[in-house]
Amino acid sequence: MSDANLTATTRSADLDGKTRDRRAFDRSFGQQWLRKLALPIALVALLAGFALADDRILTSYNLLNIAQQTSYLALFAMAQMVVILTRGFDLSLGPTVSMVSVGAALAMAGMGGGEAGGLVVVTAALAAGLALAVACGLFNGVVVALLGVSPLVATLGSMNIAIGVATTISDGRPVQGVPSAFSQVFYTGSLLGLPIAIVIALVVGVALAFVLSRTVFGRSLYIIGTNPQAAAVAGIPVKRLLVYAYLLCSALAALGALMMTARTGSGEPNLGGTLSLQSIAAAVVGGTSLAGGRGGVATAVLGALFITILSNGMNLTRIDGYVQMIVLGAIVILGVVLDRLRLSAR
Amino acid sequence: MNSTATLSSGNRTASSGDALDLVLRIGLLPILMAIVIVGTSLMSPYFLGWMNIVNILRMASFLAIIACGQALVIIAGGFDLSVGAVVALASVVTAKAMAAAASAIGGPDIVAIVIGIGAGLGSGLAVGLFNGICVSRLKVSGFVVTLGTMSATAGIGLLLTNGIPVYGMPKAFVQAIGRSQFLGFPLAIYIALAVILVMVFVQRRTLFGRYVYAIGGNLDAAVVSGVSIRPHLVGTYVVSGGLAALVGILLTALVGSGQASLGGDAMMLQSIAAAVIGGVSLRGGIGRVEIVAVAALFLTILGNALNLLHIDSRIQPIFLGLIMVLAVALDEFSRRRTSRV
Repeated sequence: MSDANLTATTRSADLDGKTRDRRAFDRSFGQQWLRKLALPIALVALLAGFALADDRILTSYNLLNIAQQTSYLALFAMAQMVVILTRGFDLSLGPTVSMVSVGAALAMAGMGGGEAGGLVVVTAALAAGLALAVACGLFNGVVVALLGVSPLVATLGSMNIAIGVATTISDGRPVQGVPSAFSQVFYTGSLLGLPIAIVIALVVGVALAFVLSRTVFGRSLYIIGTNPQAAAVAGIPVKRLLVYAYLLCSALAALGALMMTARTGSGEPNLGGTLSLQSIAAAVVGGTSLAGGRGGVATAVLGALFITILSNGMNLTRIDGYVQMIVLGAIVILGVVLDRLRLSAR
Repeated sequence: MNSTATLSSGNRTASSGDALDLVLRIGLLPILMAIVIVGTSLMSPYFLGWMNIVNILRMASFLAIIACGQALVIIAGGFDLSVGAVVALASVVTAKAMAAAASAIGGPDIVAIVIGIGAGLGSGLAVGLFNGICVSRLKVSGFVVTLGTMSATAGIGLLLTNGIPVYGMPKAFVQAIGRSQFLGFPLAIYIALAVILVMVFVQRRTLFGRYVYAIGGNLDAAVVSGVSIRPHLVGTYVVSGGLAALVGILLTALVGSGQASLGGDAMMLQSIAAAVIGGVSLRGGIGRVEIVAVAALFLTILGNALNLLHIDSRIQPIFLGLIMVLAVALDEFSRRRTSRV
């Protein structure tokens, strides 16, 4: 009697468990889609909300403006995302931008400004900028991968160094003499009717998406971020790839720096300013996980788009700049909370 | 040599090969400090002047107090990027509250001063509490949460003042706390010493301190051992916020006005640098507050020496960056040596 009772209760408990699992599965399946679409939905809601408050938001002029502004932050967020995938991050990104901006402007000014041919000038700027960025990326990568220093300290160190270099070589003043040929290539030019900044960001985004999802290098970055020990055991050259990741990050940052230099028309020793933190914020808000191994071009670009729309809308609706800082902070925290929810749904 | 020593002793404690590691780990900071002090005093006659020494100690006190809180958070496995912004917020809140209380009450200054200090400390504790709750409840990385509160806190500080310094505090506050001296040293130094001593006691002799080590060292083991994680994590952030607010109040008293430009990113980065150079492991579980305080002193001396030697202020960050990476790389190097043997 008691035996039968017991089996009955266990069986019913079992059944309950199964249906519960089943229901949980259904729910989580739906929730997963909801969470994947959460940010795009939030983006549309944000745009709609701002459009109600101010009718200048949805003009084609402003939308193009948002797209152009986004392309800079998107580049930096993509750069940051590459190293975040490997459980790192790059605090030196902002100062690298400053350093590249100043270095490229100095190189162009040294070439005699516009007197040399356009191609020569642009090549000189590219070479100088990339050389500085590679130096910084190599430093970060070697210190992180070979010396085993935590990314935070390594890039905090290189951040200080890059700030020092940027202000020293420029004497702390903007470097004039950026020729129009350079601005043509990186700012004022257009391709198929699109401003060149958007074109560059699109090309980089597609290329990076291909590298991350379709090449051994890209897939290895995800494995390193998910489980470094397993990656090493699986025979992935973890240290070498980490160095490459930091190099790639700095190179992308350098490209963005050249574009921003072309926009301002001079080499600015504090162009990078808050970009390190902004790029991390964009990547994280978009859904790149700081725990490593999760994220991609889409998360970086979506995050950058979200932050740009937010600040564009707040500017147009004349929200105080100090309030904007508070909102941005709240958004960053909200972003990680959402990320946490996504993670726990798995 | 190294391997034979370890072989004969059977384990790696007290083997002769560890002497080098000992120098590497503990000796680096004093050695660097001695080099900087001796070198600078030979090259600059002002360096060992009384005024300069007092100045160094005062600036080191501010940094040491913040770095103590930062170290505690890092030992528990977190990060507090908001300390610089809390300094600014506490400064503004203290000045505003004190000025308002002084004009509203009109009684003895002491009441207004207490109200102001309480409000300032309260603002720091509130930010710390928010950080702690976000980190422990939502299990979000401390880096990102405090990145967010850093931006928000700085925004609130600027919003309260519109970027304009706040005046109107009672003179007694500035005289008693900012400019008073005891045995030739400013009050801030004694406060810093008291904070350091209390923190050393907390780390060594209280359950809270030991649990913080346990949580940072091995979270899962701490959970299994029955350590309640949440209150202790929250506690570290609250202590960090409170100490940052204390520095904000001290700086306000020194400057004589509440300013949203005090503290800032530079102070936050320096506090992390001091903690890291002072041997706090970013992996958590390792670090002693008294060494962090020495590292804060070292960083202050280094900055002062570079100034006195007329080294371009634009190059100075390069030194800071290199020394920080070097210190941590050496630390890591020695740890690998010991773990490999």
